[in-house]
Amino acid sequence: MSLLSLPAWPGWEGLFWLVLTVALYAGFSRLRRQFNDSGWLQPLLWVSATLIAILWIGDISLANYQLGANWLVVILGLSTVSIGVPIYDNLPVIRQAARPFLAAMLIGSVTAVSIALAMAHFMQLDSLLVASLATKSITSPLAYGVAIEIGGLPALAMGIVIITGNFAVLIGPKLFALTGLSDVRAQGLAYGVVGHGIGTAEAIRRSALMGSFAGLSMGLNGVLTSLVLPLAFSLS
Amino acid sequence: MQLIGGLMVLAGVFLVGEVVKNAAGLMIPAPVLAIVFLVAVLAVLGKVPEGLRRVASFLLRHMALFFIPALVAMVALSEVLRDNIWPLLVIIIVSTLVPLWLTAFVFSRWAGTPDEPRADEGEL
Repeated sequence: MSLLSLPAWPGWEGLFWLVLTVALYAGFSRLRRQFNDSGWLQPLLWVSATLIAILWIGDISLANYQLGANWLVVILGLSTVSIGVPIYDNLPVIRQAARPFLAAMLIGSVTAVSIALAMAHFMQLDSLLVASLATKSITSPLAYGVAIEIGGLPALAMGIVIITGNFAVLIGPKLFALTGLSDVRAQGLAYGVVGHGIGTAEAIRRSALMGSFAGLSMGLNGVLTSLVLPLAFSLS
Repeated sequence: MQLIGGLMVLAGVFLVGEVVKNAAGLMIPAPVLAIVFLVAVLAVLGKVPEGLRRVASFLLRHMALFFIPALVAMVALSEVLRDNIWPLLVIIIVSTLVPLWLTAFVFSRWAGTPDEPRADEGEL
């Protein structure tokens, strides 16, 4: 590889966005700790909203932001792979609950997709939107490919995946407290099935056991759904 | 050097995931395959090397940071989203809330409490 084909150097603009992203993340993480880990103070949500507002107001192109921010995306892959560590640590606990794990995962997965599709149908949304909603609970790299397969809009599908994940971690703690579902295994499983990578990121922050259940259910659900959806859509 | 070793294990299984995915023409993302390989490697080793645990725990604790660019990229979608924002939001809210509760509920009912009360394994 010649020097010329190295990835674009972020330059001062790219570095500025990188620094701003990390600084905002640090700031909002600290803020959340000060407010007793309040679910409404998701750094992911607020940092992204702040950055989107800045890009909008400043009329700055996304490509400009990505000059620096894409360096973080590379690490996201490694970060996802790391889920293997807590999964390995907790293998005995996972094995012990294998059956309820699979059953709950399938039920959650099927309800998530069928409720979304039924409502979209009822509201008479465009078929492009319906297909883009179907992938809402699978991890975004998978959603991208599946959305193309079933005739959705990949970018929209990924947007819906991301909003879903954020909403799951926003509402999760309140929901589980209100319904008395305190088992961290059950919570992790639910975060992984419904909130995919974003749910898993939150679960792992709360506890290693919760995170390992989330990681496992995210992976299994993602793979199963992406196998079933194209089949289901080709039949309908 | 421990940390570098840990980083190498992660990047290594990631690479294997990517190669297997392409060779087999799978739709599964490489990191998900890599998780499986990592668990297999650790099962063979019988323990998590110290350096790997430290690297992984840093990456996991701050996973949200690495998701930010994907969220910001939604700015490019603004038109499609704006035109359909209300139906989409209602659908997303209902179809997230119900399965989130149902999944946790079914598991709790069936699995009961763990055989023995145990602390989480693996520190993060």
